[in-house]
Amino acid sequence: MAHIWPIGGGKGGSGKSFLASSMGRLLAKSGKKTLLIDLDLGAANLHTMVDVPYPEKCFSDFIARKVADLHDAVLPTPFPNLFLISGAHDSLDIANLPYEKKIKTLRAIAKLDYDYIVLDLGAGTAYNTLDFFLASRNGIFITTPEPTSIENVYRLMRAIYLRRIRHYFSANDFKALEKKVREHLGDDSFNKPENIVAVIRKEFPDKYALIRKDFSSFRFKLILNQLRKQDNTALGEQICKIIKKHLGIGVEFAGNIAYDEHVHDAICQRVCFLDRYPHTRAANDLRVLNRKMSNAFGEQLTLDYL
Amino acid sequence: MEKDFDQMNYYEILDIRPGATAVEIRSAYNAALQMYQPESLVSYSFFSREERKKILAQLEKAYSTLINEAQRIQYDHELNPRGIAGIIETDETAKKPVAIFDMNRQATNFAARKNHNAELKAKIAQSRIIADVIARQNIKGQDLKAIRNELGVTMEAIHQETKIRLDYLTYLEEDKIEKLPAAVFLKGFIRAYLKSLCIEPADDISTRYMNGLTPKN
Repeated sequence: MAHIWPIGGGKGGSGKSFLASSMGRLLAKSGKKTLLIDLDLGAANLHTMVDVPYPEKCFSDFIARKVADLHDAVLPTPFPNLFLISGAHDSLDIANLPYEKKIKTLRAIAKLDYDYIVLDLGAGTAYNTLDFFLASRNGIFITTPEPTSIENVYRLMRAIYLRRIRHYFSANDFKALEKKVREHLGDDSFNKPENIVAVIRKEFPDKYALIRKDFSSFRFKLILNQLRKQDNTALGEQICKIIKKHLGIGVEFAGNIAYDEHVHDAICQRVCFLDRYPHTRAANDLRVLNRKMSNAFGEQLTLDYL
Repeated sequence: MEKDFDQMNYYEILDIRPGATAVEIRSAYNAALQMYQPESLVSYSFFSREERKKILAQLEKAYSTLINEAQRIQYDHELNPRGIAGIIETDETAKKPVAIFDMNRQATNFAARKNHNAELKAKIAQSRIIADVIARQNIKGQDLKAIRNELGVTMEAIHQETKIRLDYLTYLEEDKIEKLPAAVFLKGFIRAYLKSLCIEPADDISTRYMNGLTPKN
């Protein structure tokens, strides 16, 4: 079964597509058959990052049933072993992917035969993004060391946490739970999944045990991108600590990627950053991250609820 | 989430073990401040204003309690019956700095030393044997030994004070001249020996001892 790496970050410009294309490139280079899927629905540009400027097929073809199988939407890239499902010509309403199409997509992704599948997700916390992120236990969060970006990554984490908890309750039960949380902790408390979990622990101990078990099997990772020299290098560890302590989710800090002007140059020249500037610090950080992450993955899919 | 933050004990709040030292507590507190301060990037937007205020107050309380030894002991006693703190490790075998020089040496106490000398002098003044020995023209090792025994001073005590090797002191009292160092050193030894016993005139007696020796070569 393929290793699936969803990459999400909450805020635009934090480097999701850059990371996805770089990881894809490194995995392919190490001989792994790798597929990049551009799931940044409505704002796709992963094809530009991997030098496929005029993709002939795209994800929309699968949704519109132009191709029978998701596999038929796969494009080769100039790099050996690296493949792409582009979102370049997605229909303009693709961002509002209906629920059943999303489930169909998730099932189709699970059936694809690759060593690694990297999902490049969009910014924000739309249900589509959350569900694609939760397609694997190995979700990767990426953020830059700026308040805006950190704010959004926390928001994304909470949204994902809540989305996952939601799967354990029927619609009615969840409404009842919502009511109880409001009674216990006041009106705005429902925005914080940690409060909800505290109530679940008291009111539904069996569900609480299930949720805890579920989350302990997740292997979330955090990557800090665009770290300038003057930035606090311990920031990632501290973020993971605070999440562990206050949200109760285990997120492993995978590493920093140094800020590098050359990334901008490489994207403007539409060449792969790792090929164009292989000896920069950022390129080195990416290689270290790739090595670390591809050694560390265990159980994969969470499609059990589909 | 195993535990809500406001139910954590002070050790859990600061992320330290129950036996943590003051240095560990201080650095844990600083690390926590870095994370929870209002201007901290780490927890930006993570907490509401009230939550942050509450957390910082708890943090402050945890630190001020644990860093104060008396308050900490009291807090530990409160925790213990509830079994929260677990075992409070008090490490009895904690290493202390070890003196790298003479292990047995006692700190010189000048008052005690003066006292000791005065006692010796009193004894010398009363003792007939010592007066007798001092008056002799020819002094030998056994005479020195007699004086020492009369004063009740052990050879080890002399060794400690004069830093003359114990075996030399033994040879000295047994008149084993062939085993002792050269005459220059020997005279110094005798003088130090006598001075440590407060026998006067040390110079004169040591000269008489040296004169009594038959030259080695």
